Amino acid sequence: MTLPAHRPGAALSFSAIVKHFDGAQALAGASLTVPRGTVHGLVGQNGAGKSTLIKLLAGLHQADDGQIEIDGVEHRTLTPHLVETLGIHFIHQDRLLVPTFTVGEALFLGREPRIAGTPFLDRRLMQRRAADILDDYFGIRIPNSALIRDLSTAERQIVQITRALLDQPKVLVFDEPTAALVRREADILFRLIRRLRDEGVTILYVSHYLNEIEALCDAVTVLRNGRDVATLPLAQTSASEIAGLMIARDIGEMFPKRDVVPGHDILKVHGLQLSGKYHDVSFSLRRGEVLGLTGLLGSGAKDVLRTLFGLDQADGGTIEIDGQPARRLDPVRAAQRELALVPEDRRRNGVALDMTVGENLTLSSLKQFTRFGFLETARERGEADRLIARLEIKTAGRDALVRTLSGGNQQKVAIAKWLSRHSQIYLLDEPTVGVDIGSKVEIYRLIGDLAERGAGVIVLSSDLTELVGITDRILVLFRGRVIRAFASAETTPEAVLAASTGSSEVLRHVG
Amino acid sequence: MSVELDLTPLSPLGQEATPAGPALGGQIAALALRAGSLIAFAVIVAVFAITAPYFLSVGNIGNVVGQSAIPGVLAVGLTIVLIAGGSNVVTGGIDLSLAANMGLSAAVYATLAQAGYGDGTAVAAALLTGGIIGAVNAFAVVVAGIVPLLATLAVMNVVAGIELVLTQNTVIPATTPLLSALSSSGPLGIPVLGLVLVVFTLIVGAIVQFTPTGLRLYAVGEFPEAGRAAGLPVRRLTAGAFVASGLCGGFAGILSVSNLSGSTTGSGEMLLPVVVTALLGAVFSRRLVPTIGGTLLSTLFVGILVNGFQLLNISSTLVNGVQGILILLVVSATTLLRKKEA
Repeated sequence: MTLPAHRPGAALSFSAIVKHFDGAQALAGASLTVPRGTVHGLVGQNGAGKSTLIKLLAGLHQADDGQIEIDGVEHRTLTPHLVETLGIHFIHQDRLLVPTFTVGEALFLGREPRIAGTPFLDRRLMQRRAADILDDYFGIRIPNSALIRDLSTAERQIVQITRALLDQPKVLVFDEPTAALVRREADILFRLIRRLRDEGVTILYVSHYLNEIEALCDAVTVLRNGRDVATLPLAQTSASEIAGLMIARDIGEMFPKRDVVPGHDILKVHGLQLSGKYHDVSFSLRRGEVLGLTGLLGSGAKDVLRTLFGLDQADGGTIEIDGQPARRLDPVRAAQRELALVPEDRRRNGVALDMTVGENLTLSSLKQFTRFGFLETARERGEADRLIARLEIKTAGRDALVRTLSGGNQQKVAIAKWLSRHSQIYLLDEPTVGVDIGSKVEIYRLIGDLAERGAGVIVLSSDLTELVGITDRILVLFRGRVIRAFASAETTPEAVLAASTGSSEVLRHVG
Repeated sequence: MSVELDLTPLSPLGQEATPAGPALGGQIAALALRAGSLIAFAVIVAVFAITAPYFLSVGNIGNVVGQSAIPGVLAVGLTIVLIAGGSNVVTGGIDLSLAANMGLSAAVYATLAQAGYGDGTAVAAALLTGGIIGAVNAFAVVVAGIVPLLATLAVMNVVAGIELVLTQNTVIPATTPLLSALSSSGPLGIPVLGLVLVVFTLIVGAIVQFTPTGLRLYAVGEFPEAGRAAGLPVRRLTAGAFVASGLCGGFAGILSVSNLSGSTTGSGEMLLPVVVTALLGAVFSRRLVPTIGGTLLSTLFVGILVNGFQLLNISSTLVNGVQGILILLVVSATTLLRKKEA
């Protein structure tokens, strides 16, 4: 294969890629060129199109429009198999290794060495080569008999990277590789990435951690709303400039802000800790207040929310609800204490897809509609109709199945379901993920209504523009700790992003 | 370079990675479970040996192995499906049609033998019957996407129905040279059926535990995504496991004709003991996964229990109770252990 002259040295080149999913535009003409033998960063907020781009490259989806060139050769359709034969390998967040295999078996699955002249596996050779490679590249030793399920997260990741290295890849794509790693482990990974680059491997590095991008990459491409907004050499940019590029500024009037005078504390959390997840988390929430919570994957923000609803038990610290200590919370008791959780994965947790809109809306408050053990269907229907009208849920009526609704309207049903119970504290987990702009605004209005009624609301979101727009205060978690608290009126999405990606830490160290 | 490294993220909670640390408790528990089962096995053998002197004689042990041949072959077939379908009891691999498969294959064999066909034809027809049943299962699971539990349950009923039509619910006697050879005794008075079980397990064990195909079956069952990522033909492997299991059913059918000198009704009663045996086998492996060797041990374990109870004049119905308790213990212990790891 000889390289065409017009694109010398590009290992990967995407031009003007367009991709729609169910009518929603994921990529709107994104371009990305990765020069051979470099470490190239790819950053963007959730929904910016990073994972769509990676999936197109992996051959898992096909682009609607645009050009993909690999090593200077244009490819109309990519399949996972073709991508692999072209020497492109992926290190995914979820480690695809069989838990009951030894390291040797996991490494060689699919290309097992045999004892010469027999149909049998050469287990000894597998073990020896596995040990050699791990020692050579990582300087670590894992016992031959250890099973994947006995390894630490980092060791599993190392095994997965090693699997890719066995194929002598030309391009390695890392998708959030350090989210589950501690610092020493991340150091090993970075050293390896540099070594691979020096050996001529091209690396595409997708990460939320801007400080890692800054330390590791030769250049970075920033995606926003499905487009590439900039490609910069790291020598000429900084984490804060990248953060600025990641955030859109064109959403003016989206946030119907209300003036609610906050009441007394309704929730007090002191010294909460869950080992391996978060540490020493303290805050309070007042009636009528909307508190934002944010952090990257693995920061512990989501785990704090789960603990508050009793889905996980904290190892230490106290939770007080309305002045009363809440010990051993579980979801049933949490609901009794008038907490409501609207989970992120609403398909799994938030709504029953094969029940009607009306049934879903009253599902968590059936007690109110029950007399002598029977449902008062007339009152139940009335409440359902009222909620449908109030939230402008777009549905054929209360008897339509929730499955037939759009994502945004399903989310509205999930939130409204808890509204009919009149809870005191609302925990909203990514309330607007996968929701169109119009529905977003209605959900924001709804959150404002809740606060106005005197409830306390905690919103966990990684959409920082939204968070700054709708909350009163924001807590940022980073690697298990609350590292910053912001008053929303006095901050910007950029500052929150900098805190949550750890780059404010960097600035402090450097400056 | 080290200056750059200072910019890496802070370690959460300041903890360092300890290789294989957190799972140590689980490892010890798994070891205890495995050692415990082996010790229980040994203790039961010892108790029987002391209380029933005839128990340890070569003749009796040969008997146990011989009587274990048919459930053993079925349990080995089921083990292949358990491996390739995963260990989840509800959604994972299971083949409920195995016992009915054996019944129909036996009926086919006996009918052909009675009609004057030779052993070669009858053997081929019985294996073909088993293979077709396995292929139907494979189609239902892999192509139609039905959960194995339901797919094989449906196939089981169809197969049992066909057997009734074929045999008119009667015993079909059969005698052929092969059948006589199978039901005779070999060296040291050990039944030929027992030797067949040993050789059969060795061959299947060699394929499943020591070839790349076997390793891939495990990968596909435990974690299909990993199999797909490794470029394995996941669907073909799953389908192949069901066909292999069907062939085992056909083979067991031939053995059962020799054992009973014909095909009889009521093969369905074999199903649950075989399922129990195959599930129990996992405790005899280091990784707590189904293995062919483990299944052989567990088959012999169950055979020894039945035999010992008979020698001690204890009602053999108690064996069912003991089996039930064992399976409860084993399944809950392995489930708890695996949950810890997740």
